[in-house]
Amino acid sequence: MISFEQVSFSYPQAQKPLLEQVNLEIPEGSFCLVVGASGSGKSTLLRCINGLVPHFSGGRLSGNIRVDGLDPVRESPQVMSRHVGFVFQDPEAQFVVNQVEDEIAFALEHAAIPQQEMRIRVEEVLGLLDLGELRERELHTLSGGQQQRVAIAAALALRPNILVLDEPTSQLDPQSADDVLQALVRLNADLGITIVLAEHRIERVLPFIDHLIAVQVDPITGKRSVIEGEPRELLQQIELVPPLIALGKALAWQPLPLSIKEGLRHSRPLARQLSQLQPPQPLKHSDVPVIKLHKLNSGYGQHTVFEDLDLELWAGEITVLLGRNGVGKSTLLRTIVGLQPIRKGAVEIMGRSTRGKSVAEICQQVGYLPQDPNALLFSDTVRDELLISLANHKITGPAALERADVLLHKLGLVELAEAYPRDLSVGERQRVALAAISVSEPQAFLLDEPTRGLDYVAKERLAELLHTWRSEGKTLLIVTHDVEFAASIADRIVLLGSDGITADGPASEVLGASPLFAPQIARLFPQTGWLTSQQALQHLLAKS
Amino acid sequence: MKLHPLAWVAWLLSTLVALSVTRNPLYLLIVLLCIAIVGNLSPKSQTRYKLPTALFVLLLVTSCCFNALTVHYGNSVLFRLPEWIPVVGGVITLEAALYGLLNGCVLIGFLLAFQVIMQVITSQELVGLLPPAFYPIAVVVTIALGFVPTTIQQIGKIRDAQAIRGHRLQGWRDWLPLWMPLLIGGLERAFQLAEAMVARGFASNDRPKQIIGDQIALVCGMLLLLAGWFVRLVWGLGGVGIGAMLIGALLIGLTLWRIGKRSPRSHYRTRRWHLNDSIVLLASLLFAGLLLAPLDLLDRRSLYYYPYPELSLPEFQTWLGLCFLCLLTPIVVSLLNNPKEIGS
Repeated sequence: MISFEQVSFSYPQAQKPLLEQVNLEIPEGSFCLVVGASGSGKSTLLRCINGLVPHFSGGRLSGNIRVDGLDPVRESPQVMSRHVGFVFQDPEAQFVVNQVEDEIAFALEHAAIPQQEMRIRVEEVLGLLDLGELRERELHTLSGGQQQRVAIAAALALRPNILVLDEPTSQLDPQSADDVLQALVRLNADLGITIVLAEHRIERVLPFIDHLIAVQVDPITGKRSVIEGEPRELLQQIELVPPLIALGKALAWQPLPLSIKEGLRHSRPLARQLSQLQPPQPLKHSDVPVIKLHKLNSGYGQHTVFEDLDLELWAGEITVLLGRNGVGKSTLLRTIVGLQPIRKGAVEIMGRSTRGKSVAEICQQVGYLPQDPNALLFSDTVRDELLISLANHKITGPAALERADVLLHKLGLVELAEAYPRDLSVGERQRVALAAISVSEPQAFLLDEPTRGLDYVAKERLAELLHTWRSEGKTLLIVTHDVEFAASIADRIVLLGSDGITADGPASEVLGASPLFAPQIARLFPQTGWLTSQQALQHLLAKS
Repeated sequence: MKLHPLAWVAWLLSTLVALSVTRNPLYLLIVLLCIAIVGNLSPKSQTRYKLPTALFVLLLVTSCCFNALTVHYGNSVLFRLPEWIPVVGGVITLEAALYGLLNGCVLIGFLLAFQVIMQVITSQELVGLLPPAFYPIAVVVTIALGFVPTTIQQIGKIRDAQAIRGHRLQGWRDWLPLWMPLLIGGLERAFQLAEAMVARGFASNDRPKQIIGDQIALVCGMLLLLAGWFVRLVWGLGGVGIGAMLIGALLIGLTLWRIGKRSPRSHYRTRRWHLNDSIVLLASLLFAGLLLAPLDLLDRRSLYYYPYPELSLPEFQTWLGLCFLCLLTPIVVSLLNNPKEIGS
């Protein structure tokens, strides 16, 4: 159904091709996952399927591509839109109108589909994606998961046989991501639509797929290669994999489990032999918390987001704040740094109230990274970004240059010092943003969804950086939906619900006991306190 | 039952005409009340866009002060500014201040009327009134309107992001860190949207067909319109001028219709035209015509209130005051049709 034969592609003015002699065969009706590091060429590969590459991007393409019997290079993306639906990472960025039904009908109106037929098709996709109740809603009032389902519905309205999705769940919380994936599974199973999906958090998707494509980059030569095949076979060749797969590979589980259900068949016999782990050691704290929230109330207009919230954050501790969308995690971070007014209660930093202090003053003590690091970056070079932050804090001249260079070195950005920040990969851009907020050497860091759009390599580097800061005695409060990342870094977990804090304690206790936020390893080995594949392996190998 | 967008546009036009032709505070009060009633009681189609009250106060104060400071005429002198101050120097009168206040009320009326339209019909319905030949323009306008709230949100995000880097807004140079990410982010969003639209088949039938005949016809139509207007204005040849303008308009209309036929589009929502729409359209057109048509039979002197040189009470003609109530037609027809819908 989709075949690539000796396909090579270079972007305009690029020195090296991004895709080199790619050969692929994606069977009709399959659910195919494309994995690879950021910048490896996954998105380019997907855009070749509907002709956006090279028609929209420009560049040189050679080789043969056949999609649904057509050549997308010859036919153009407009013709291919009848055969291939395309869904992008950010649903908001692809909406044309402002109402659910109108958005779905947009492509149909443009294709001059008769009104009666149009109504049937809109009803069809509304039903398929369970959007019936939202049909009259304005798009900006929907949650991220609902918006992404509308984007999928809009792509399906032209009744394509193939649906291509470029990281559709990267901006969603686990529940919303699951809703989107379940919708895709239904489309694949019930209608036989071929799904081709690129994703970084592959643990979410692996249970559903029957075909895997990996775009790999040789770390020494930088040469890219694309391999494909049956997921279990191919995962043996891929280095960076989710904890379940890593454990399965290390313990030579056969067949390699792709889901927790499959993994439990292997883990249960082992778990029976395990004795209860020692309870986690209570964390030792200094006398004064670095950040203290006392009976804190905050909200927007008439709407109260949280009230009477008490929380203490200590030096040398990584706290991860988890909770469903909309419970006020981001609002809490914004309130601490003064971007959101305090209605009642107090925020104290190092024992002093923040009342009356400007955001800039608070941020000298508390570095805050918002969800979209792009909003921070505007300079011509990475070094300039740091120098401007330093100038904001009245540090200029040779002292500023020296401090900027030290920080660039510490964050592994020396080679990128003269690069244009917005040309960098997602992970690199985020490090630059982290550098920009940490030049004032704050005592604490608040990070809002720092793993959004990061691949496994970038996440590992981020985790290393956070551990370094912790060892330097910094206080870290991290909001994330990425439970595997939370499991790998957190000392302490705080669960925020609509009624305030519902759980607060050591990561192994809180994550292990949470049905919604438990990581893969905690689900495989319940009541052991293990959260990562490294912990599990360490104990299991020691026992054997 | 919601009214047809065309009926709403007719109501908007008649409201704008009413606000433009009178400075009589009594009639202005009626118009403003009608707009407020229609705005509050009409069924809403989308998020209620509400302009801040502070903006209205600012408009009133600015308009009042500007007129008072620049028009040094009137008998009721409030105070004097030294003559040597350019423009504002001289007597400051109550009459000028009052006339400025009335102008402020007219501006507020304009804003409120547009606010009502933004509440009762969607931007898509509005641009849907354009002829099919303008379809790409209509889509671009829809997208541009959608970009406004997104851009406002982005400004807030970027301002916060720069504040957390210790940035403080003091001089004009300090705005650079705000504008650059906004501009670059806006371009990136535009690029993403363009890509998404191409992927969804936008412009699939729009391969440029350079039909020279259409272009010539459009240019000729425009020339005829201009020539007719010129002939009428300069030589006073009314018949010839109007004839040329009509032929020009017909030529442009026909050409646009031909272009529209070549790029067929269908509509998901087609609002049927109902009796209520006809009533609102007719009432709006009659009311606007009454205010504008040069008919000597009607006495419209009370429209032109002029407070100079000395303040006087405005005249009020009951029949004219009642005519202004035509602006309530959208509510009256809804009330007669389905009272439960009112205010929903």
